[in-house]
Amino acid sequence: MPLFRSPVNLIASSVVLFVPLIAGAVSSDRDGLNSDDLGQTFATSIKPFVDDYCVDCHSGPRPKSKFDISPYTSVKKVIDDFGHWGEVLDKLTAGEMPPDDEEKQPTAEQRTNVVQWIRSVMRREAERNAGDPGIVLARRLSNAEYDYTIRDLTGVDIRPTREFPIDPANEAGFDNTGESLSLSPALLKKYLEAARDVTEHLVLLPDGFTFAPFTVMTDTDRDKYCVQRIIDFYKRQPTDLADYFFAAWKLKSTGSTKITDQEIATTAAAAAISPKYLRAVWNILTGDELNAGPIAALRTHWRALPTLGSATDEEVRAQCRNLRDEVQNLRAKLAIHVPFLKSKGIHNGCQAFVLWHNRHQAAVRRALNKDVLHIEHSDTDQADELDPELGLTGSDAERAEQMAAFQKFCSVFPDTFYISERGREFLNDPKELANEKGRFLSAGFHSMMGYFRDDQPLCELVLNDADQHELDELWTELDFVTSAPMRQHTGLVWFERTDSGFMRGAEFDFARAEDKDVTSEEKIRKLAEVYLAKAIRLGAGEQAQEAIKEHFTNINASIRRVEKERIDAAPSHLRALEQFAERAYRRPLSDAEKKDLADFYRSQKTAEDGSHDEAVRDTLMSILVSPYFWYRVDHPSDEPGIHPLTDLALASRLSYFLWSSMPDDELRRIAAAGKLNKPEVLLAQTRRLLTDSRANALAVEFGGNWLGFRQFENHNSVDRQRFPMFNNELRESMFQEPIHFLTYVVQNNRPILDLLFADYTFVDSALAAHYGINEPDLKSGQWAMVQQADRFGRGGLLPMAVFQTQNAPGLRTSPVKRGNWVVKQLLGEHIPAPPPNVPKLPDNEGIGDLTLRQQLEQHRQDKTCAACHKRFDSIGLAFEGYGPVGERRTLDLGGRPVDVHAEFPGGGEGSGLEGLKDYLRDRRQDEFVDNFCRKLFSYALGRTLILSDDPTIETMEQKLKANGYRIQSLIESIVTSPQFLTQRGRVDLANN
Amino acid sequence: MKPYRSQPYHRNLAQVSRRTFLRGVGVAMTLPWMESISVWGTKASTADAAAVFPKRFATLFMANGVNKHHFWAKETENGLELGKSLDPVAPYKDKLNFVTGLFNKNATNVGIHPGQTGNLLSGAALQKGAELKGGISVDQILADHIGQDTVQPSMVLGCEQPVTGYHETNFSMAYGSHISWQSPTSPVPMEIYPSLAFDSLFENRGSMRNISILDRVKEQADSLSRRVSQNDKAKLDEYLTSVREVEKRIEMLRDRKDKADTKVQQDSSAMFKMERPENGLPEDIREHMRLMCDILALAFQTDKTRVATLLLCRDISGLFYPFLGVRAAHHAASHNDESDDYERITRYYVSQLGHLCERLAAMPEGEGTVLDNSCIMWISNMWSGSKHDSTKVPMILAGGLGGTIKTGRVLDYLDKSDEDRKLCSLYLSIMDRMGVKLEHFGDSDQRLMGI
Repeated sequence: MPLFRSPVNLIASSVVLFVPLIAGAVSSDRDGLNSDDLGQTFATSIKPFVDDYCVDCHSGPRPKSKFDISPYTSVKKVIDDFGHWGEVLDKLTAGEMPPDDEEKQPTAEQRTNVVQWIRSVMRREAERNAGDPGIVLARRLSNAEYDYTIRDLTGVDIRPTREFPIDPANEAGFDNTGESLSLSPALLKKYLEAARDVTEHLVLLPDGFTFAPFTVMTDTDRDKYCVQRIIDFYKRQPTDLADYFFAAWKLKSTGSTKITDQEIATTAAAAAISPKYLRAVWNILTGDELNAGPIAALRTHWRALPTLGSATDEEVRAQCRNLRDEVQNLRAKLAIHVPFLKSKGIHNGCQAFVLWHNRHQAAVRRALNKDVLHIEHSDTDQADELDPELGLTGSDAERAEQMAAFQKFCSVFPDTFYISERGREFLNDPKELANEKGRFLSAGFHSMMGYFRDDQPLCELVLNDADQHELDELWTELDFVTSAPMRQHTGLVWFERTDSGFMRGAEFDFARAEDKDVTSEEKIRKLAEVYLAKAIRLGAGEQAQEAIKEHFTNINASIRRVEKERIDAAPSHLRALEQFAERAYRRPLSDAEKKDLADFYRSQKTAEDGSHDEAVRDTLMSILVSPYFWYRVDHPSDEPGIHPLTDLALASRLSYFLWSSMPDDELRRIAAAGKLNKPEVLLAQTRRLLTDSRANALAVEFGGNWLGFRQFENHNSVDRQRFPMFNNELRESMFQEPIHFLTYVVQNNRPILDLLFADYTFVDSALAAHYGINEPDLKSGQWAMVQQADRFGRGGLLPMAVFQTQNAPGLRTSPVKRGNWVVKQLLGEHIPAPPPNVPKLPDNEGIGDLTLRQQLEQHRQDKTCAACHKRFDSIGLAFEGYGPVGERRTLDLGGRPVDVHAEFPGGGEGSGLEGLKDYLRDRRQDEFVDNFCRKLFSYALGRTLILSDDPTIETMEQKLKANGYRIQSLIESIVTSPQFLTQRGRVDLANN
Repeated sequence: MKPYRSQPYHRNLAQVSRRTFLRGVGVAMTLPWMESISVWGTKASTADAAAVFPKRFATLFMANGVNKHHFWAKETENGLELGKSLDPVAPYKDKLNFVTGLFNKNATNVGIHPGQTGNLLSGAALQKGAELKGGISVDQILADHIGQDTVQPSMVLGCEQPVTGYHETNFSMAYGSHISWQSPTSPVPMEIYPSLAFDSLFENRGSMRNISILDRVKEQADSLSRRVSQNDKAKLDEYLTSVREVEKRIEMLRDRKDKADTKVQQDSSAMFKMERPENGLPEDIREHMRLMCDILALAFQTDKTRVATLLLCRDISGLFYPFLGVRAAHHAASHNDESDDYERITRYYVSQLGHLCERLAAMPEGEGTVLDNSCIMWISNMWSGSKHDSTKVPMILAGGLGGTIKTGRVLDYLDKSDEDRKLCSLYLSIMDRMGVKLEHFGDSDQRLMGI
């Protein structure tokens, strides 16, 4: 039984289909047509026409153009293969068949008759089956879809298929259909490796798992991953006092005396600082308690800040920075410096001593060092040498209040909020410390690895509960992922036996770094005893002894904790695998499937000497090569006729259309709840998906394949010596331009006519330079929209450098390719492939006497050539103002002025880009609209269009026009079309 | 549970090189290297035998320098005369070159230890602080270019666990633990366990795990296939066929491997045989090193890999040698590098090369032996451990690399300019001979003269 068929049936489905859906029409008797008028006409005039004018060439063992027209002996046979008859129609309409040089030619009336008849048949057939979902084949994810989906599944953009062979495209030009996507053992092996690659990014956490942006198969990589996350967290925290003083100043300027928590929250949110700490700072600045010593001084400074309106924000900020520096200077003087432990015969940089110091230091970051304060006597000789800031004056009561103020000051302003890097502080050598930058989170041992957390002030003063929880987890994960406590202890054994020499005696021989049980509780206990005994023998004091005892107790506890977390975590990894599979399969798992998954994990854990980690990775890999993940299959109903897709299938169809990727959590949730089939929900989701950055894939995958620039990042036919400006950076920018443009059109619901006629485009610095557009201040990677781009000969798709370059072979332009690109890709005109043995144009337009234009004219003297070339050459010539890399020019490479005037196919003439745009607007706009709708529809459905799609497309186009050609109107028409929402039953899928 | 164990996955499923099939041929079928081929069903032809044997390159690393008084060689009329520490390789003195005076500029004037080690095989400048950054090592360049021809692109083995943490020079200690780097930022996961190193070559463990994965997805595809339309069934069949095909290839390789093993057991006296080492780490370092050398020898003999790096100990090593009568650990002992103790340690490390040479020299291949077709580079990161002197490194090159390196010589570069005595120049020369021609590598863009 299908696992995830939703209970929706056709009647319950309330999506409004704007084309009436005729359930069961597909299976009706087609032969019925033979008896009506069309059948009559076929027998009386069509078949004779074919026999007279076509079969001579188009039959037999080698029919011309490989098209055999003889088997079409009935209307049904014509209908079954209407694709070819579409071409017959084209040829007859264009007057290309029979060829001019055939003696036997039909009369104009005969020709019209046949044309009319084919149209009627098609029309009739299309209407009869209008809205038929057709056959959407099961298909594996394309390389691109696989990469996008892995990105969304794992949260990291690994792109495992980036160097895979290019997927083949179907007739419509897209690589997202079962018609063209295939699989071979060689490709499967590549995908196995890709899946393995993904699993090597896996990071197992105490509660589930995640993925790192790089592979994490060594200690160094795991360290890098975990440490970086904590450092990033610290860096994100607002701990600059100046920001708090400034925010407090803003609060003060509101004039109210009592500041509510709401005001604090609003101000803090606006300044992106901690409300909790802002409250503390506000209180100390504005309160009247402990108005003595440093607090009184601070308040005096604070009150001296300008009033609102008397200074600019920036001026006040500068003063706040001064205030911060004063506070910090004073605070530095008040800090406690815990002395380092030393003991004869024990290395100062040993773990026990360094950690003892770290712990004690970390505990006093908000405390006052009373020893630096002094009682001021105005008459002493030393008065000049004493720091007046640190003096206590007046009566006992006054001095007590000052002392309390110092303590409060130290408590609110810690000596530091957190320590993110630590060198070997025990050396007490500032020069050494200056050289030891970048030891992130390090405990500061001599040579040994080890981390130490020192961020209590941050937690207490700045972080809210959620942040603190997140930070706690990050630290837990550091130990869990990197096995830090175990490695730290192994390091101790190594260091004390070799470098420090403390453990060189025979009594320590039982402890060796390479022993498997070196971190076992038993060995650590024994080591603690022997270690302590030796320390005492050497004369260690009480503190040193205490430090040693604490150390071994702590490290043992940490190791045991991580071991326990490992055991406890195993079930969460299995649950995470289940969730991962559900997201990967885009549907819930059945109980049997969950069991199967767990069984597989267990068998991999026991098989081939596996470990838990390996078994999880293997299970993950099996999910990534599973057909449930890798293939999109719509399960057909056993009932004949047409049935709505399940909500889950619809969700996938929608997300792969708009994102080329899997549904996100919200879409999955809505589908699982059975709500996606409601039109308002479906449309709301469609709009939501379009505003998401993932909709960029529509520009890349649909746009890239339709317009043929998908592979431009590898375009290598530019002569870089002749065009040195064309480097990899510019090539990438050229590739990105249409993507930015199309994404803009989609996300801003622009008319699709913008593609042709817009006067805007998008540039980065490389492209701006190439186009001669002065766009200052563009940082690397930054893009800007250029309005009135026609000033620079740009705007819309037509003049984009990517197309001009791609359609130019090196040292000359190619009006042929450029023109052909316009009529074929943009307008959807069917142009046959060129015959073999066409005369070649020279490689370099700079050589020879004739311009390209003149040579093309010669070429068109030949009638057989002219038949096609007259359909696009002139359009390409309008682009002659753009050189081989799309640069604007007035001279060709031979130094001759370029001529951009053109007489366009079907009449009309004009000059250059603007002339071409006018021509397209006046004469070809409908073709463009029709082609665009068809392409997008075909891409969305994942199949080649069929005859019965025509009525839907007509309605779609009418609606599009009525909505000012806004693209979202088209997208909405597509996602609510019967083709998109339904599928054929199993029986009907067998019929073409 | 072994939390640190990192088992290198098989990036490529096991496969026997096309090239291996197409060449080689006409050579006596008792040759071990051919042995693995004969059972693969290749027919003999008459191609030139000399050209066919694969060239192999291995590095044996000893940390913290040698005892300089006894680490020397002289050319005499009767061949090489060797210092005491080189005694263990005396039987192979005609098959080796004593190389002195080479160095790596980026390993000098950067402070001691990690900065002198992490770039030994890459010549790269190393970055201090938390972020690791160096260069790809020569063994991994070779693996990238010729690794696809063998089961394992390369073997990276070690006899001492790597450490991290920071050295006083502010270089990460990871540089002292890894000389083999797959990218500038990431070392190759080093295999410490002899049993797993053995498995990685002979059990095709990764492939077997893949087989179970393929079995699972095959079942899923079968079940899916029963529920879809006729058209979709055809698409899924494509998937199933591919899965079966890939499985079949893996099984075939395993099958052939079994056959090869049996055949070797039965009738090849020349074949070096070894049992699978026990799980876990050997307690005795002598046992550990011997096993790793044996695995390396076996891998070369059966052409499972052509590139290997064996870190006998890491820099600032904590290994002990009670069997040598030395009480201090390796690093501490190296600070007394002119002592008898350290001479014995040096000699012990050279004996690992001796042992490997003995194995390889007992493996006939064509007119010669596997040793003749290999280049085993024995190297340390310093000349003197007490002075931390890396202005020249101790080196012995054993084997003729398929007749491309003349042996029995002393190659002294001490009087050459710094430009003409770069380690990376030697690496370029070795890569040349193994068919990997690069313009430049590390800090060098020229080949070493006189090699």
